[in-house]
Amino acid sequence: MVKIAEALHRRWVQAVIVLVVWFATATVLKGVQTQELSTASDSPFTAFLREVASTIRGNRADSPIFLYFLNPIRAFISGFIEIFMGVIAVPAKGDVIPMLGWFGAMAVIGLIVYATSTLRMALFSMFMLLLCGMLGMWLLTMETLAMTIGAVVLSLAVALPLGVWAGLSDRVMSVLRPWLDLAQVLPTLVYLAPLALVFLIGIASATIATMIYSIPICIRITAHAIKSLRDGPIEAAQSAGSTRWQVLTKVQLPMAKSTIILAINQTTLAALSFVVIAALIGAPGLGKPVIEALTIRNVGDGVVAGLAVVFLAIMLDRSTAAAVNRDKSGYAAAEAVKVRRRIGLAIFAVFTVIAIYLSRFVLWFAVFPESLDFREPIANAANALSEWITDTFGFLTVTGSEQFTLFVLNPLQNVLANSPWWLTLIAITALAFILAGRTVGILVFILLALVMGTGLWNDTMLTLTMILIATGFVVLIGIVLGVWAGRSRRVELFLKPFLDAGQTMPAFVYLVPVLALFGPTRFAAIVLGVVYASPFVIRVVADGVRKVPRETVEAAVASGSTNLQVITKVQLPISRRSILLGVNQGLIFVLAVVVIGGFVGAGGLGYLVIVGQSKPELAGKGLAAGIAIVLLGVILDRIAQGRPQKSRQGVH
Amino acid sequence: MKRVGKGAGLMVALATAGLALAACGGGVNSDAGSSSSSASESSSSSASESSSESSSEAAPVDCGSWGVAMHAWVGYTASAQVLSDVAREKLGCDITQTQLDEASVTYDAMEAGSVDVIIEDWGGGRWQEWVDRGAIVEVGYNGNIGLIGMFVPQWMCDEYPDITDGTKLNEYAELFVTPESGDKGAWYEGPPGYTTIGEKIIEAYDLNFKVINTGSEAALIDVFTKGSEDKTAVLGYFYEPQNFLAQVPLCRINFPANDWTDAAEASGLTDYPETPLVKLATLSLMDSGSPFAVLVQNFEWTNEDQNQVAANIEGGMTPEEAAAEWIAAHPDVVAKWLEGTGAS
Repeated sequence: MVKIAEALHRRWVQAVIVLVVWFATATVLKGVQTQELSTASDSPFTAFLREVASTIRGNRADSPIFLYFLNPIRAFISGFIEIFMGVIAVPAKGDVIPMLGWFGAMAVIGLIVYATSTLRMALFSMFMLLLCGMLGMWLLTMETLAMTIGAVVLSLAVALPLGVWAGLSDRVMSVLRPWLDLAQVLPTLVYLAPLALVFLIGIASATIATMIYSIPICIRITAHAIKSLRDGPIEAAQSAGSTRWQVLTKVQLPMAKSTIILAINQTTLAALSFVVIAALIGAPGLGKPVIEALTIRNVGDGVVAGLAVVFLAIMLDRSTAAAVNRDKSGYAAAEAVKVRRRIGLAIFAVFTVIAIYLSRFVLWFAVFPESLDFREPIANAANALSEWITDTFGFLTVTGSEQFTLFVLNPLQNVLANSPWWLTLIAITALAFILAGRTVGILVFILLALVMGTGLWNDTMLTLTMILIATGFVVLIGIVLGVWAGRSRRVELFLKPFLDAGQTMPAFVYLVPVLALFGPTRFAAIVLGVVYASPFVIRVVADGVRKVPRETVEAAVASGSTNLQVITKVQLPISRRSILLGVNQGLIFVLAVVVIGGFVGAGGLGYLVIVGQSKPELAGKGLAAGIAIVLLGVILDRIAQGRPQKSRQGVH
Repeated sequence: MKRVGKGAGLMVALATAGLALAACGGGVNSDAGSSSSSASESSSSSASESSSESSSEAAPVDCGSWGVAMHAWVGYTASAQVLSDVAREKLGCDITQTQLDEASVTYDAMEAGSVDVIIEDWGGGRWQEWVDRGAIVEVGYNGNIGLIGMFVPQWMCDEYPDITDGTKLNEYAELFVTPESGDKGAWYEGPPGYTTIGEKIIEAYDLNFKVINTGSEAALIDVFTKGSEDKTAVLGYFYEPQNFLAQVPLCRINFPANDWTDAAEASGLTDYPETPLVKLATLSLMDSGSPFAVLVQNFEWTNEDQNQVAANIEGGMTPEEAAAEWIAAHPDVVAKWLEGTGAS
């Protein structure tokens, strides 16, 4: 008796009991009160949002809020971006090339990179840009670059001051934190529709969307940089009578400089990763061919544009990271090195001026030459490869996904979505109570009630089903490959290029091949989520395993443990924290991409967001679906984070 | 700090010099471009809100610069490319093409002034809200007749001749069952933005089918291609004119004759209508007196014309090449479009 009572106190026993009761009840009550709502019909809440959307559209032309506040913002932002566009990407009216032809633009970018890091990095950056041009994507790459630079400048203008302030004052940080948390779990697809409603389709909306995505990252890193400075120099400055402003500008900012440059690096990458999705609301650049490739089903074109995104990402990542490194090591440079560098810069600058001249007056240097354009063979090769894969593995993937759908996906969906809504609500709340404590439990209950209020309960549960399964795969793949890579340097080196590509390649690029392999199914959406989130989780797990102290592992090996024992008894438990962190982030990544599955027949909330954008009568449902996605994201995030401190007792 | 400052200063100085050099004009731009334009900052990007007031002043002759909305399906691409190229070559217009989602996304862009023309719109009157606000005007039909419907691969009609009667689809529902649709038949519905009434039809006839929202035309084409090649049973949404029908023969499922034009009022008992496809333009274009407005007004061609261009695009030509070939082969049609523009 005592043993049973003890067992009931264990969390996992409680959780299993909830699951069993839940599954059993759901089987009995299948199809009852599922709150299913056909696409064309409205709930009271979606009808209300539709009215709101229509009112906003109607007021755009004459409401003072638009005339004197929102429209000027829109004009300012698009004007700002267009300055960059005019220099490298978009010819002025009637002109053939922008201010700088391709050769000049490449040289100028090289010079900027040289000035902030090294000559080698400058040459590398120019080579990456050359590759983008050879993909036949020169102007589109420049459009993306101009837009990214503009968005980053605007983001930094907002985020750096806020970040510094938040780093100095805990109170400011505590005000900002909920917003930062929210922005981090917010799938990008969600805020496109509201932005487009207010700022219309175009550069302005796309830029603001990019900023929403990248600003929180920048604020976080900057605040962290300022906060984690050692107190010694600051106190010294204070005791020497410096004012607060002096302490900030003379001590804190210079000391935090390299971390702040790191913030710029991360902001840039975040902005760039937004390129494709921003194309849905009119962002110019490389996102357009990727989206087109989906709608006209041309893998090759999408891959070519996707590769250009990858090259641009590598270039921006390496060059800004090099600026961080140089800044860290720069102070100690010898005088001779400095002089040499200055001469080098001067020579490069002269070269740049010549390049600009050539790019204005000689056609070959102005318009990217066709003889260097390898777009067609690359696109054809990608098409052929994808066709071969589909023909060879198509049968396998289709059968596999059908069996999986019948025996795993559909049963789980029956429990989550095709059962009474109150049953699911009670069960999830109970699990949250058990796994994450009372506070989270109450929060989850409220959030679920809000989901219910949107009227999109059934669609939310459909999406949740896909997310849970995809996350399961991601965790499995992440732990297996992550442990392997963490234990073997060779495996890590082998995986690295795939992980890099997986993390920078926009999810839309592999939408078409996934569609060809799996058809318009929910499974296709699950595969998308897995492909997108796995690299990150693999990395985090590998990192965690590698950080396990070597002596501990050696001790275990010496005491006669097998490899499997070392992994399960030593490496995994010790790196548990970073694995949990990886899973938590992986879950959010999966959420962000699974909604894109709406493009390949997966239905659920993602489809409603997409259809809401194109059918005015469904605009309300699209907006409500966006809200439901946010609620779902917060719910998953909170449960996955688990009990704050106490979590260690739970497992053993 | 000092050193970095100097490096940056040098860079700024040179960049300024470079830009000054760049801004002084001449070179490639003035060789190949039109004579007058020197506007350096009034660049109109492809998707930007190129305001029409900045465009009118520096324009060559009197056509001006205009935006043509591009939609994803290949038939639209064919029409829009031919229109754009005729405008560019015969009228000297500066045409920017902008890829946008169908319907409200594009209407909003038109209201914002980023694009001026939709050359093929399927939605019977869904633009009314924008017309009421004076942003958009209907410019009449483009000559193409659109017909939406539910289709099955041709082999199914050969094997089950009376499957074409939509009201009796229940007899065949079992054939269409997939893991996605559970115990019902799968009804692959059109992509977002396309006019769809599948849910209503299923409800009206109590059909044992489940709607699967395909999300993109690519998904539909995928489904039909597999259904034809592997002889699997699929029922999906499709439309004409669409060159895909020439490659993979499909067979239309018919419902009682149509009695609606606005999908919102459809009962679900009757079929999709034959839709004369509509041209839409911004009021600012139609009031501008530009010859491009006349061209848009006159533009009209047949399903066959569109399919010819679309087939060439799908066969691997660029839209420009395909359009050029058609324009060269149909001087009489083009001449008719140009009547009243002053060009020949």
